[in-house]
Formats: sequence, structure tokens, C-alpha cells
Amino acid sequence: MISDLLPVPLIRTLSLTLVITSVLVVESRRLRVAAAAYLLQALLIVALLAAFASMNHALYWWAATALVTKAVLIPWFLLRYIRRTGGVEVKPLVGFAPSVLVAAILMVAFFRLTHGQAGLLVPSALAKEEVLRTNLAVASTVFVLGLWALLTRRDAVKAVIGLCLLENGVHLGLVSFAPGLPETALFGVASEVVVTVFLLLYVIEGLFKEFGTTDTFQLRTLRW
Amino acid sequence: MVTTSSLPVAAFLVPLLAGVLLLVSGGGRRRFCEWVALAASAFLAVAGVWVAIQVAAGSILVAWGEELRVDALSALMMLVVGVLGFLAIVYAVRYSEHGRMMDAPGMGGPERRPAVFYALVLLFLGTMTWAVVTNNVVMLYVAVEATTLSSGLLVAFFWDKRALEAGYKYLILLTVGITFALLGCVVVYAAGAATGAITGVDTLLLSHIRDVAHLIPRPTALMAVALLVVGFGTKAGLVPFHVWLPDAHAEAPAPVSVLLSGIMIKVALYAMARTISMFFPAVPQLTIFAVALGCLTMLVGVVLALAQDDLKRLLAYSSVSQMGYVLAGIALGTYLGAYGGLFHLLNHALFKALLFMAAGALVFATGARRVSELGGLARRMPVTAACFLVGALSIAGFPPFNGFWSKFTIYVALARSGLWWAVGVAVFTSLLTMVALVRPVIRVFWAAPTGDAHRLDGVQEVPAALWVPMVVLAALCLLLGVVPSAAYALLHRAATVLAVLGG
Repeated sequence: MISDLLPVPLIRTLSLTLVITSVLVVESRRLRVAAAAYLLQALLIVALLAAFASMNHALYWWAATALVTKAVLIPWFLLRYIRRTGGVEVKPLVGFAPSVLVAAILMVAFFRLTHGQAGLLVPSALAKEEVLRTNLAVASTVFVLGLWALLTRRDAVKAVIGLCLLENGVHLGLVSFAPGLPETALFGVASEVVVTVFLLLYVIEGLFKEFGTTDTFQLRTLRW
Repeated sequence: MVTTSSLPVAAFLVPLLAGVLLLVSGGGRRRFCEWVALAASAFLAVAGVWVAIQVAAGSILVAWGEELRVDALSALMMLVVGVLGFLAIVYAVRYSEHGRMMDAPGMGGPERRPAVFYALVLLFLGTMTWAVVTNNVVMLYVAVEATTLSSGLLVAFFWDKRALEAGYKYLILLTVGITFALLGCVVVYAAGAATGAITGVDTLLLSHIRDVAHLIPRPTALMAVALLVVGFGTKAGLVPFHVWLPDAHAEAPAPVSVLLSGIMIKVALYAMARTISMFFPAVPQLTIFAVALGCLTMLVGVVLALAQDDLKRLLAYSSVSQMGYVLAGIALGTYLGAYGGLFHLLNHALFKALLFMAAGALVFATGARRVSELGGLARRMPVTAACFLVGALSIAGFPPFNGFWSKFTIYVALARSGLWWAVGVAVFTSLLTMVALVRPVIRVFWAAPTGDAHRLDGVQEVPAALWVPMVVLAALCLLLGVVPSAAYALLHRAATVLAVLGG
């Protein structure tokens, strides 16, 4: 049993906190708070990866990479950008209460799904381990919350934060899908997110100068 | 015959390193940047041709263990990336002297823009080459995403409202889309490893996963295919994931449009074909689904193209449509289908690059790109007119041009698989393509201009540095039309790679 090797209660606590930080990232309309919540989430992911690392030592490398990319570089880019263009998000499409409700429903649904159907994704004995299923549920929730943010938020910076959230979900999910992935692959996957965020913020800064706003609903020069 | 060769390594590292060199050199003289770009892309073109010759003779080149592996399918893609990349850079040298391309704000201003432009183009070419030579399923995702990142700022290069909007959409939609491909690639890897038939480093290698793909349980295979189709399909511009494509391909500078429409969407389709075709033998119903997706793409693409007045958007939508043909051919899984699909991939790379160069020439000479603003230019720009006409006739599938043969092969392949409805859609789309492409060409070059008749009076033919690459491509379209067997040796072996089903 892989679970014997792992600090299961610690992983549970970290996972739950992770979901809460995701909701905070999506819901906070003060971008500085959202970025700080993202930083907190990044630290939790680093801790989780380290907790899982006893089953694959490559995960230590990944935890280190995540620390540099997610907890240092990306928040730094975000905060540097927010300081220049003002810190309040453009009003989102969906308000606070319905949004939190959706998050809760998604979470419950994914717990049920991953506990019933995990074998569908990867038919290995490992994927049926309780702790990895829980991780998969958390990862899918974070992923879908990121997608939710991308779909319902009008602010371009918030969309980037949503994208980061989505990537966090995927990266966390990889631990459950493919615990044996070698570090070169993980390094490639993690470093591309940083470049993506850097480029997107650079383009958004250009947009802000041209359009005077980061509201993506104003981007209507190109139709059809 | 498997041969270890350093050529695949050099082919993608040389442009990458040259690109990084230009980025860190911090500007420098513009001529220097151009020479570096020309030299690196010429090397890539020569490497592509050389690899294609070796592979057409029956070799498979590998490097770094089997981390990089060039079979005929990869070699075909390398050839396209190399040759078109070089022609696009030749074209770019003169094109970039036009208008505001190097004077706009953004990317460090006028001093740094040439260096950034050529650096990004080289990184773009290098990452695309990497994507087609890698044999590692996770690195395939990493390389394809790297092509998005290297081209994102190229799409936004003009740094005005339109370009920035296109660049933003491009980066965000492609990054979100490709995330699904990451999940798909990882599921393929994990499911392959879970079969227990391969171990160690082999579990990451596509050529080995392919051998055990039939052991992967059906639900898992379907899940992987769904994720891969969404992921790589977004990047390939398949309907309904195509919304970013017309913006990006139309707003990018012409040489970049050539790379995006001529090469990049094919690299994504290559990645999709490479991964999903391994599940065709176990789940043959998938081929019907993929052919249907191809038919939807070709039809929707051409209908939207018909509605365009902007020449570059029209060409972009027609790229969507033509990708549908390539997919419908490849997705059949039969030898004939794969041959037709890959032949069309090669042909489309040639004539769409030609058409985007010709549209760029019109912008260069007149500053306009709307069909309604142009007219009667055949006497003033005879070479551009001839090249544009060759491109339009090729894409519409007129004999004796290359598009005729590849489309015809696809029709026959679809018919032999009994998919007559698909033949109907493909032929109908071809007729619409003729209307969509040939009509604007006649308007722009032969009909009398509307509105202010004297506005186009001072227009002259573009300089030779712009029309020579166009003439080369037009000649290739004609050559492959008159002698379609010229590409047989390579296409035959490449089609064999994808012909996983009999018939």
C-alpha cells in the first residue's frame, strides 16, 4: 500500500486548504489579495508535492521547481503588473454568492466522480489508492475553478490568474495520473507556465495602454 | 534501417541558439540580425532536405537514445518547416522595411524590434522543428506549447489595437486549449506504462507506446483521444476551436502569417495524428468521428471565408477549411487516406504560404487589404497577380495544379472507405472554395476598381526580394501538379506510418 508511505492526514489538510485558497483567488476582486492567495496556494502545492515525494523522488525536484516558478516568479510578475495598472478587478459576469455555490457543487461532484470512476483515466492499481483519488478530486476542482474564472471574469489580469489556477490543477493532477513522471518532463511543463504568464502580462500592458482598460469585453475590434 | 544521427539535434538547436543569441545581443545592427536569421533558417532548410533524402531512401534517424526520432512523417514535416521557414525569412527582410512594422512601440522600441522579430521567428522555427522530431510524449506537448509562446508576440507584433487583441486571444485560448493536450499526453503515457508491456524510459517514447496501444483499455483510450483532439485540435484550428485563428493569422505581419498558416497549424495536426492514430486499430469507430470532424471543419471554414471582405481573414478561414481536408484524409487510417491527407498537407503549406505572401505584397504595394478597396491591379502588379492566381487555382483544386491531385486522392480514399457523405461534403466544399478564392482574385486584379479611381494610380509591382519567394512557391505548386510523383518517395513512406488500418 502506497498510503502507508505517505503522511495521509497532512495531505488531507493541505488539500482542503488548497481548495479554499482557490475560491479566494477566484472570488477576491482586489487583485492584490487574489495574487497573495495564489502565492499561498503555490506554497501549499510545494508542500503537497514534497509530501508525495516519498513515492517518487523526482517530485522533490518538481517541488523545488514549483517553489521557484509558482511561489516566486509568477506572484512577482503579477504584483509588479498590478502595481502599475491599479488593483481592482473589472466587475465579473457572475456575482459572489452564485459563484461560491458553483464552486461548492463542483467540489462535491468531483469527489464523487473521482472516487467512483478514477480507473477510467488511468487503469493502474495506484490510481485506485484513496489518497491519490482525493488528490485527483482536489486537482480537478482547482482546474475547473480556473476554467470558471476564465469564463466568467471580464478582467484580463483575472483571466491570467484563472489560467494559473487551471495550470495548478493540472500539475497537481499529474501526481495522481503519473506519479512516475521523470523530472525533465516536469521541469518543461512547469517552466512554460512562467513564460506564458510573462508574455500575457506583457501583452495586457500593451492592451491597457491602447484601450485604457483591462476589460476584455472592450476588445471588439476584431469580429468575425 | 535505424541510424543514429546528429542532424535532428542540430536542426532544432541551431535556430533556437541563434534566436537566443539575437535576444541577448540586445539589438545590434539590423543587417546583422537579418544575416543571422537567413543563415540559421538556410541551415534548417538544408537539414530538412538532407533528412528527407535520407529518410526517403529508407532510413530512420534517431538521436539522444531514441528521444529524437525522425521517420518519414517527421521528415516530411521537417522539410516543410525548413523550406517555408527560409522563404518566409527571405520575404521578411524586405517586407519589414514597409510602413510601421519596425517603428511601432512595444518590444523595446525601434532599436530592439528587428532583433526581437528575427529572434522570435527563429525560436518559432526551432520549436516547431523540435515538435516534429521529438519522440517523447510529454515533450511533444512541451514543444507544441513552446511554439505558441514563441509566436505569441509575433502575432501582436504591430502593437496596435487589432494586433494586441489578436495576440491576447491567441495566447490565452491556445494555452488553455493545449492544457487538454497535456492531460491527454500524460494519460497516454500513464496508460501505456500501466499495461506493463513497456518499462523504464520506453514508457515515454511514442514509438514504443504505439506498440502497446492496443492493450490500453477502451474507455481510457477514448478519454485520451478526446483530450488530445481538444488540445491539439485547438492549435490546428479545427472547428469549433478555430475562433483564435482568423484574428491571429490576419493581424500578424505577412511573413508571420506565412509561418502560422503554412506550418504551425500543420505541426499541431501532426501532433494530433501522431498520437490518436495509435488507437485506430483497437477502436476503428474513431476514424468516422475524426472524418466527421474534418468535414465539419472544411464546410464551416469555407462558409465563413465566403463572407469575408478582408483578404487575410479570407485566407485564414480558408486555412481552417483546408485543414479539414487534411484531417479527413489522415483520419481514415488507410494508406490512400493518409497519402492524400499528407499530400494535401504539403500542398496546402505551399499554396497558402504563397497566398499569404501575395496578400502581403498587396498590402506592401497599396496599404490596403480589403477586396472592396482594390481592383484592376493586374497591369500594375503582373507577377503578384499571376502568383495569386496560381495559389487560388491550386487551393480550389484546378488541374494542372497540385491541389487537384491531393483533393482527388482524398475523394477516392473516402469513397473506398464507403463514406460517400464525406465525399459529397468535400466536393461541395471544393466548389465553394473556388468561389471564395477565385472571385476575389478576379476582383482585385482584373475588375475595375470601385470608388476613388485614382487612389491606386501610383501602385507598382513589389521588389524582387518579395516576388522571388512567391515565384518559387508558385513553381513548386505547378511542379507537383504536373509531376505529382515528385514527392512520392517521401509521401509513400510517411503515409505508411499513418496507415494503421488496412484497405
